[in-house]
Amino acid sequence: MTMQVIKSKKRRLARAQKTIGDYCLLAGSPVDANAHYSTALELARLTADYFWYAGALEGSVCAILVDRMGQKDTALEDEVRYRYNSVIVHYRKSFIQDNAQRVSPLTFELEATLKLARFLCRRELAKEVVEWLTNAADGAKSLIDASDRLILFVEIARLFGTLGYQRKAAFFSRQVAQLYLQQENRLAAISAMQVLAMTTKAYRVQSRASISKQSLSNEIESGHVDSSKMHHQSVVSLFESQWSTLQMVVLREILLSAVRAGDPLAAWSAAARLLRSYYPLITPAGQNGLASALTNSAERLPSGTRCADSALPFVRLYSFPLHPSQMDIVKRNPAREDWWAGSAPSGPFIYTPFSKGEPNDNSKQDLIWIVGEPVQVFVELANPCGFDLRVDSIYLSVQSGNFDAFPLSVDLPPNSSQVIMLSGIPTSVGPVVIPGCTVHCFGVITEHLFMDVDNLLLGAAQGLVLSDPFRCCGSQRLRNVSVPNISVVPPLPLLVSHVVGGDGAIVLYEGEIRDVWINLANAGTVPVEQAHISLSGKNQDAVISIAYEKLKSALPLKPGAEVTIPVTLKAWRLGSGDSDAAAGRSASSSMARTVKDGSSPSLLIHYAGPLGDAEDLETSKSSVPPGRRLVVPLQICVLQGLSFVKARLLSMEIPALVGESLSNLANVDGSPLDEAVGYGTKIDKLVKIDPFRGSWGLRFLELELSNPTDVVFEISVSVQLEKSSNADNLSEHAAEYSYPKTRIDRDYFARVLIPLEHFKLPFLDDSIFSKDLQSDGSSGGRNSSLSERNTKAELNASIKNLISRIKVRWQSGRNSSGELNIKDAIQAALQSSVMDVLLPDPLTFGFRLVRNGSENAAKIDLPKESDTSVQPTASKNPVIAHDMTPMEVLVRNNTKETIKMTLSVTCRDVAGENCVEGAKATVLWAGVLSGITLEVPPLEESKHCFSLYFLVPGEYTIVAAAVIDDANDVLRARAKSESPDEPIFCRGPPFHVRVNGTA
Amino acid sequence: MIVCVAVVGHQNNPLYIQSFTDGDDVLKLHHIVHCSLDVVDERVAVICNYWNVELVLYGCVACSYGYLTNTKVKFILVTTDLDVRDADVRNFFRRFHAAYVDAVSNPFHVPGKKITSKTFAERVSTIVKSFGLSSAG
Repeated sequence: MTMQVIKSKKRRLARAQKTIGDYCLLAGSPVDANAHYSTALELARLTADYFWYAGALEGSVCAILVDRMGQKDTALEDEVRYRYNSVIVHYRKSFIQDNAQRVSPLTFELEATLKLARFLCRRELAKEVVEWLTNAADGAKSLIDASDRLILFVEIARLFGTLGYQRKAAFFSRQVAQLYLQQENRLAAISAMQVLAMTTKAYRVQSRASISKQSLSNEIESGHVDSSKMHHQSVVSLFESQWSTLQMVVLREILLSAVRAGDPLAAWSAAARLLRSYYPLITPAGQNGLASALTNSAERLPSGTRCADSALPFVRLYSFPLHPSQMDIVKRNPAREDWWAGSAPSGPFIYTPFSKGEPNDNSKQDLIWIVGEPVQVFVELANPCGFDLRVDSIYLSVQSGNFDAFPLSVDLPPNSSQVIMLSGIPTSVGPVVIPGCTVHCFGVITEHLFMDVDNLLLGAAQGLVLSDPFRCCGSQRLRNVSVPNISVVPPLPLLVSHVVGGDGAIVLYEGEIRDVWINLANAGTVPVEQAHISLSGKNQDAVISIAYEKLKSALPLKPGAEVTIPVTLKAWRLGSGDSDAAAGRSASSSMARTVKDGSSPSLLIHYAGPLGDAEDLETSKSSVPPGRRLVVPLQICVLQGLSFVKARLLSMEIPALVGESLSNLANVDGSPLDEAVGYGTKIDKLVKIDPFRGSWGLRFLELELSNPTDVVFEISVSVQLEKSSNADNLSEHAAEYSYPKTRIDRDYFARVLIPLEHFKLPFLDDSIFSKDLQSDGSSGGRNSSLSERNTKAELNASIKNLISRIKVRWQSGRNSSGELNIKDAIQAALQSSVMDVLLPDPLTFGFRLVRNGSENAAKIDLPKESDTSVQPTASKNPVIAHDMTPMEVLVRNNTKETIKMTLSVTCRDVAGENCVEGAKATVLWAGVLSGITLEVPPLEESKHCFSLYFLVPGEYTIVAAAVIDDANDVLRARAKSESPDEPIFCRGPPFHVRVNGTA
Repeated sequence: MIVCVAVVGHQNNPLYIQSFTDGDDVLKLHHIVHCSLDVVDERVAVICNYWNVELVLYGCVACSYGYLTNTKVKFILVTTDLDVRDADVRNFFRRFHAAYVDAVSNPFHVPGKKITSKTFAERVSTIVKSFGLSSAG
């Protein structure tokens, strides 16, 4: 009993001493305190009062530390560690010893543990500290009071954080938050939310708002400098995002606490992060729940609230459309007249190593936008979730502030992606930076950066993140779109074109010629001062003429002004493959193909505004405002028109009648010629009568044409004559002949005759054979190969000249007309007999009746080589049997040299018998008929008179023939004689004489 | 008894986590593995390919051991036995490492992606079972 009393007395003393020590410490005297504590320790040990012993020991540690404030050495540290170990052990002992104590010593033990841990909390001692903290955490489960536990976890988390063990700190912070959430009141929920917000960094789910603005903008800049290299931070976050089980739990707790705390913005942000990052792991029902959480939170937010964390949709850059061809920008070279040269790729090669070598021609192209002209950017939106997503507005967010973006609202069905066009107008000169889009969705305005999605997609491609939102929505593979360097330049003129009468395809038949009017209007705010039109594309020769002067005269084209330029088009011929397909008369399909083939030419109009100030120009060349290029595609659709089958040369001779006039045409009327010749009054236009030849030398080029189309064509042939060749007055009005029209119905064939008689040269000139003569003079023999080739060339040239004068035009309907391109066909047809067509005979012969001398004199000049358009009156046949008929034969020399010849005249009856000579001669004659020696000066004519006396009425044929003496080379060449000794024989055409009876 | 093994990539991304418990404490085990990475991060600077981490979590007593390869891939072992023989752990990690090397040597395996090989999973579970046996024996 006494022992008991003494013990309790000592214990009381010890406790008093300890209390005094506490007060001393409070009073600021650690030395006194230490002394009291030492007494207390002694007494407590003796009385086995472990709880108070531990308390006193703790106090003594404090006293030592306060005493040696500021100095820290290992000895002291060891001392503290040792004593605290002892403190903790004794607290534990007291727990075992006295279970019924009112105050649980456990809290004291844990507190001491934490104090020791805090004292030792340094990286070098991390292991030891972790051990203490683990012990403390282990002890937490014995704590009954939740708030004690909360405080403990807060402290543990704080210490782990100090040690740098962020994940462990986050774990215990989460425990704290859970404890707060158990309290079910708003303030606790706010605390829980705040604690959880601190854990987000460790779990890599932090809100973008918590990341400092500085690093964010750095990231954007670095992303712009080199988008291919991802920022290290974002890579790490991608990797860490794979702890999705933990991250989702954390975000869900943040959402829960924020809702309970009544912080709609935090709730919105958490739900947005959860939905955006972990949608593949959330069931559609869960996604719907999150969507409604977002909506509910937004309802409690003021409208126009911004949140740093973006929710849906995923937005990625799809493409930066380059300028459409209508408003292409061309760099202007002020030093050159053709300032646009060099801007367009030149040469036939798509790739040239020279242009590739330029440093600025890399994948990062420059884009030029113009102040005041709307621009478009394509972005792709994806909604990978299972609910309908309504994007209230989306527009480009531009940091540089010189851009007005137009908002757009989009509805995205579940699991869908959509490419939309965002547009805007640059407002001032300078660079434009587009980091992303501003999206108003779920009631909150968020910023969607393209770079984030790019990183996400890159991560998806490497398998680091859960899923590619675009791929799972059925969009195609990842496209690597780089943001070009965009710069805004001052306003430029803008030409807008349209084809007058509709911008549809211009449907033309092959060879059709049509004028098209192109209207150009300046839709810009700057006048057009320079403009130049050129052609590009295929079939450039289809454009026959462009009224360039009209455009020139309209310059400068003020804003709002317009000018109309006529362009003459001629449809090209369809290729063989085209015509095969078009033969099926499927006009629509061939039209589609023609347009698609891009075989139509385009007009390239390079234009530019004023050059700017002169001194400005000198100082910097870059300040020259660029020009522009307008491409006006001429959508020509060529339909198959008339098709050419073959060409033939037809020649025939119709004997002329011998009459008073050498060009008596009366009897030719009604001759059984082709339909084209059948118009009697016009026959003179078709047929050239050669008065000296005396016959109708008809040479026609027959063209066979077919009409496979379903419209009717009318063909008209016209021949242009050379005015210079016709020295006399006859052909003044006949410079161009047009012939009756030929109509070709659909699916029919028709033949068109083209007369060739107008093409005879006036005289046989040695210029045709000039090369021959030279070579003949030197060698005296056959033509050398060289001269032959020259001759060929000259002949070809004259043939071409001839052919170019023949125009075969066609017309269909009211406004389709064109020209057949048949030059090759004609050339092929004429090739063999071109000499006969082109060259006159060296000698031409003519007969006529002689009435009296005065008439004779008047007519002597008449028979020139020409066609007599004035029809002579149809005279009666004056030749009567049993009458002396004075006649004369005219011989014309068509060469430039005098020709000596021996002329003879024969007369045959209908049976072809010579009726002048022989026993049964039916014709008597006076004068000389054979062996007449004549000498005809160059380009002149001689006549020889004789008289015939017909005994029997009927039809007779008079033929003149001549043997040329001393023929020169020209004549030989014309006669195609083989040897130089061969006599050159010229025979005139037969002349008809109808001899009437006297009855 | 081993409750969980994990392979964690060099960017601390989980490549393979397999738990061997019947209960629904997967999240808890994920937390343990995740928290172990704190110490891992600390040790990565110092090249040593063996260390152990002891962690006692609230409500679940567990030890975790870690193993670092030269390519900074970490293997983490969570066990409920508080005193495990060092040799057993070393032996386990050696075999686990061999299994991992075989798995990533597959030409169709993309480095950095999660290991989905069934063979690897079977082999790991065999190793885990034999760990229990050897420690018992």
